[in-house]
Amino acid sequence: MKLEGVAAFLTGGASGLGAASARVLAEAGAIVALLDRDMALAEPLAKELGGVAIQCDVADHESLKAAVDQATAAIGPPRIAVNFAGIDVSQKIASRSKGPHPIESMQREIDINVIGTLDGCALFSEQMMNLEPFEDGERGVLINIASGAAFNGPPGQSVYAASKRAVAGATLPLARDLAPYGIRVMTIAPGFFKTPLAEGVDDRHIDKLISMVPFPKRWGDPRELGELVKFICQNRMLNGETIQIDGAMR
Amino acid sequence: MDIQGLTAVVTGGASGIGAGVTRVLAKAGAKVAILDRNEALGQAMAEEVGGAAFVCDVANDESVQAALAQAREALGAARILVNCAGIDTARKITSRKTGAHAIGPMKRVVDVNLTGTLICCAHASHAMLDLEPLDEDGERGVLINIASIAAFNAPNGQAVYGASKAGVVGAAVPLARDLCRYGIRVMTIAPGLFDTPLAGTMDEALTAKVLRNALFPKRKGRPEELGSLVQHICENQMLNASTIRLDAGFF
Repeated sequence: MKLEGVAAFLTGGASGLGAASARVLAEAGAIVALLDRDMALAEPLAKELGGVAIQCDVADHESLKAAVDQATAAIGPPRIAVNFAGIDVSQKIASRSKGPHPIESMQREIDINVIGTLDGCALFSEQMMNLEPFEDGERGVLINIASGAAFNGPPGQSVYAASKRAVAGATLPLARDLAPYGIRVMTIAPGFFKTPLAEGVDDRHIDKLISMVPFPKRWGDPRELGELVKFICQNRMLNGETIQIDGAMR
Repeated sequence: MDIQGLTAVVTGGASGIGAGVTRVLAKAGAKVAILDRNEALGQAMAEEVGGAAFVCDVANDESVQAALAQAREALGAARILVNCAGIDTARKITSRKTGAHAIGPMKRVVDVNLTGTLICCAHASHAMLDLEPLDEDGERGVLINIASIAAFNAPNGQAVYGASKAGVVGAAVPLARDLCRYGIRVMTIAPGLFDTPLAGTMDEALTAKVLRNALFPKRKGRPEELGSLVQHICENQMLNASTIRLDAGFF
């Protein structure tokens, strides 16, 4: 699809990979709605990009539904929706020192990463399905963000890996559900990118992670992920697939 | 491990695939604790196999902790956990007719199939950490989770179910990494279509399509065939961190 003038909704769009993608899409002519918990970050970015910022907790159905309605009222129904909102809790499933993984953080992580993404797909696609079709009958595209951990989770990442593999696993049936309406569904599984989430990791661990990237030996620039988001929107044959973007780090 | 005389916990062990696992493990000499929501079915199964049944909702952390504690008191410390409890909802993510997928059933499927599996893994493995190793390799226990071929290739209307089961597959490697230092193995089985009450709720056209696409044999699997794979996984120590499809070759 052509990006000029189309509405793009991005959950978690105020920071990290979401913010970089919002920037790339806006530069290509899309009008962006940043659905984020953090309005202090979302508002100035939305202003800079000529879009709108809307407060939203994706794990809360009422909050997400209200945000979708507000965003639609502000910039029109989405042609593009990208589910970036996600969290990462690092804790082993059980250990002698820490006991069993507590239920609260486990539940919160699954509610945001899995339910937030699936509910986003349901609510965004509901808005898309009655839009005028473009060429080939295309009405919209949903892009979900998984992680390399979905396929090879390190220790302490059982819950995160499970949540991200769930996102990857939903791709094909989501695409099948929405194909009759001309809505494509794609998933991106990023490796190690320079985001606030990754910058929280200690330096020694960062060096180790970078050393694990075969080529190029550096962390990814969030803009590079944004470029992939843009490309997926533009190339209609991409559908029902998960793309790993990770410099071959597996 | 040699199953004879060991305690095994089977969630969802009173019906379907879980019942098959319960029967096979009991026949191999295990003391089986059946954790199930359905008290009547659980008791009947416990009587049949000489085990014990405890009412449990795997999506509820407190219920799981209580049931595991009761099981331990009745049958001793568990060395085997098989997470069979699971539910299905067939509904498109959105359609003009039914609108956006309702949040209630979406959350319930993920809570039971994914969070419930992880909760049971957390508490059951924690109870295994300080058990005496069973052998010179230091093996203490094994966790077996039940995913589905829907984790890899789900039909339409199965986005939520497929996601929940893919989550179970994705957890296998990091779970095994978390627990390897304690001598606890973690395996996942991804069954195709089995002769269970859950599969009985599938519409006939989809059932026929799945069976047509199976390479061989073109029939539903028998719960005991899944039980025998569970038994083999328990007995074969080199199996760890992987997901085995048991689907007659379905693509």
